[in-house]
Amino acid sequence: MISAQVRRRLRRKTVSPLGRALQHGDILFKGALILASLSLLGLMVGVGVMLWLRSAPMRTSAGLAFITATVWNPVGEKFGAAPFIIGTLTTSLLALIIAFPLGLFIAIFLAELCPPGLRSIVGFLVELLAAIPSVVYGLWGIFVFIPSFVIPIGEALMKSLGDPQRFPYLPIFQGPFFGASKLAAGLILAVMILPTIAAISRDVLLAVPRSQREAALALGSTQWETIWQVVLPYGLSGILGAVILGLGRALGETMAVTMVIGNVAQLSASLLSPGYTMASVIANEWGESRTPLYNAALIEIGLLLFFMSLLLNILARSLVWSVARKTPEQRA
Amino acid sequence: MVTRKLVFISLLVVALVVMGCTPTTQIVKETVVVEKEKVVKETVVVQSTPQVKEVAKEVVVTATPKPTDAPNSVELNGSGATFPQPLYEDWAFAFNQRDPSVVINYAGGGSGQGIKDIKAGTVDFAGSDALLKDADYQEKPDLQMIPTVAGAVVLAYNIPGVTTTITLDAATIVDIFLGKIEKWNDPRLAALNPEVKFPDLPINVVHRSDGSGTTNIFTLYLSAVSEEWKKGPGAGTAVDWPVDKLGRGQGGKGNPGVAAAIQNTKGAIGYVELAYAKSNNILYAKLINAAGKTVEANIPSTMAAIKDAKFDDRLTAIIVNSKEPDAWPIAGFTYLIVNKDYKDCKKAEKLVSFIKWALTDPAASSRAAKLLYAPLPQEVLPRVVEVLDKITCNGKPVVSQ
Repeated sequence: MISAQVRRRLRRKTVSPLGRALQHGDILFKGALILASLSLLGLMVGVGVMLWLRSAPMRTSAGLAFITATVWNPVGEKFGAAPFIIGTLTTSLLALIIAFPLGLFIAIFLAELCPPGLRSIVGFLVELLAAIPSVVYGLWGIFVFIPSFVIPIGEALMKSLGDPQRFPYLPIFQGPFFGASKLAAGLILAVMILPTIAAISRDVLLAVPRSQREAALALGSTQWETIWQVVLPYGLSGILGAVILGLGRALGETMAVTMVIGNVAQLSASLLSPGYTMASVIANEWGESRTPLYNAALIEIGLLLFFMSLLLNILARSLVWSVARKTPEQRA
Repeated sequence: MVTRKLVFISLLVVALVVMGCTPTTQIVKETVVVEKEKVVKETVVVQSTPQVKEVAKEVVVTATPKPTDAPNSVELNGSGATFPQPLYEDWAFAFNQRDPSVVINYAGGGSGQGIKDIKAGTVDFAGSDALLKDADYQEKPDLQMIPTVAGAVVLAYNIPGVTTTITLDAATIVDIFLGKIEKWNDPRLAALNPEVKFPDLPINVVHRSDGSGTTNIFTLYLSAVSEEWKKGPGAGTAVDWPVDKLGRGQGGKGNPGVAAAIQNTKGAIGYVELAYAKSNNILYAKLINAAGKTVEANIPSTMAAIKDAKFDDRLTAIIVNSKEPDAWPIAGFTYLIVNKDYKDCKKAEKLVSFIKWALTDPAASSRAAKLLYAPLPQEVLPRVVEVLDKITCNGKPVVSQ
């Protein structure tokens, strides 16, 4: 119902063309929103262009060989990114392999099985874990996690699966092992991305309509069958989204990884040997890099990290879409 | 009525958008000004009783700009090496007490950052542990390095069962860092330390992961005593460590990172700054120096190392592996980088007087010694002062007290 007063106002407003253009806040508001969104795009492009331009000396001198070269020798001005790329991928994947099932289990427990009183407490703790700054994780890693957790695990792995006589084709657990290692970095990253995966997956599972569970139970499913065959498939795309966020954090994580990975720019198959990540080498060496080529090499690593995150995000996003498309009935 | 209101709102939005497009600093300034006015106004409104009036006055006084903004004061900004940062900050504080019109800010960030900054002209001076290269001088002939203090680098270790100070010589250090000496019970180590019982444990070498002047000094030493090191990894703020290839090396971030890695790794050895090792009670080795004498790292032995420092035309000197009998062999100068000509005469004058004070005043030297930096030898001071006196502003000599 439009009152007479409002109708009068509306009629009066249609006077001048400028007035008409401005009378609705819609146009201006729309403009402001578009501007805000465009600024995001501009930021993205700006960062990419800056990295591209500043890395020019390295790109022209080495080209694509930069990605596959394995030597990093600042004194001899020989730069190769392979050890850092491999290090970043290895530690992130290791973290994901450990954190994904754990996080999913926590989420299922919180959403499906946990008594309501405990749910809020555990949920709060999980979110609290996500809020701890990474440098604190790094300190904890150096003084507690490595000596009392990583070293026993690493030594056990080295003595069992890493025995070169018994398992000559399993180099990933072979020594020597001193503590600071890709294993330590992967484990600490797993701890760091666990709350992200657990908290988001829990929210996704809680958002699954009650009717779905009731229908499954009514058909005679057990609770186990309900969870695995109804609730999880329904929330799959959301859970994948949680994994992407976790992976994103693992790829870019700098401080905690730098403090536990050992920072050695060498390719080695063993998870027990020290490694290096792309983010770490930039953080470590930027302050003292002197020559234009050295600077450009570090910036090009930043560029590669930028592209890698972009690529992985696109891949993961398309995965989410394809999963979401396969189960059309769940999206009302 | 409503139309007018809408036009007003739209104008406001347009203004905001325009403001958004202008550089951010302007916006910040504007808001600050507005806030200040608000504060003053509010206090004025409040003053009804005499007591409150007093308070209001005080508020206004504290709201007035800091001495840095006063017409006669000068702000000198520097950035660079983190190794001398505690000392530069201490000097800046002390100099500000003497001459309140000068405020000196020194931001760390590393030698490389300092060199980038002074080349770009964003700072008035830079700190650097590493020497400028020929290419740097060709690019900016205006740069001048000035030595300030020397520091020593020591080898810290963690050998289970060994709680005494061990002794090393140049050859064993090189071979440990080249990876040729693999275990602690190597006969060469035993020969140097007959009283120590070394365990059968692989040696893990800890180095700096971040680019560092400490690494530069240490690798300069390794290059000075070993041809193989010089031809192989060489000297620099970050090098390609041979032990890393053997899987027996690791990098720690900063002195604390290296110290923590040594502490956590059985059989580890690594290099840290003397000042850091000493203030944290870390066990570090004695060395046999170039004169064949076993020496301990401390201020007197660092001073001995810089006694025969030969400064070149650029006022730089490499002092590793000194021939002096009491000299600690792994030591190096840290430098300030200044311009030979400044645009701002006030800044140039104050900068010159600050550096002169820091290098020649006994009070400044004692502050350095307290922080375990070795001050410049007396013999070099006239040359440094001569160079400082040549600094000009717009081509004219700087008037300095």
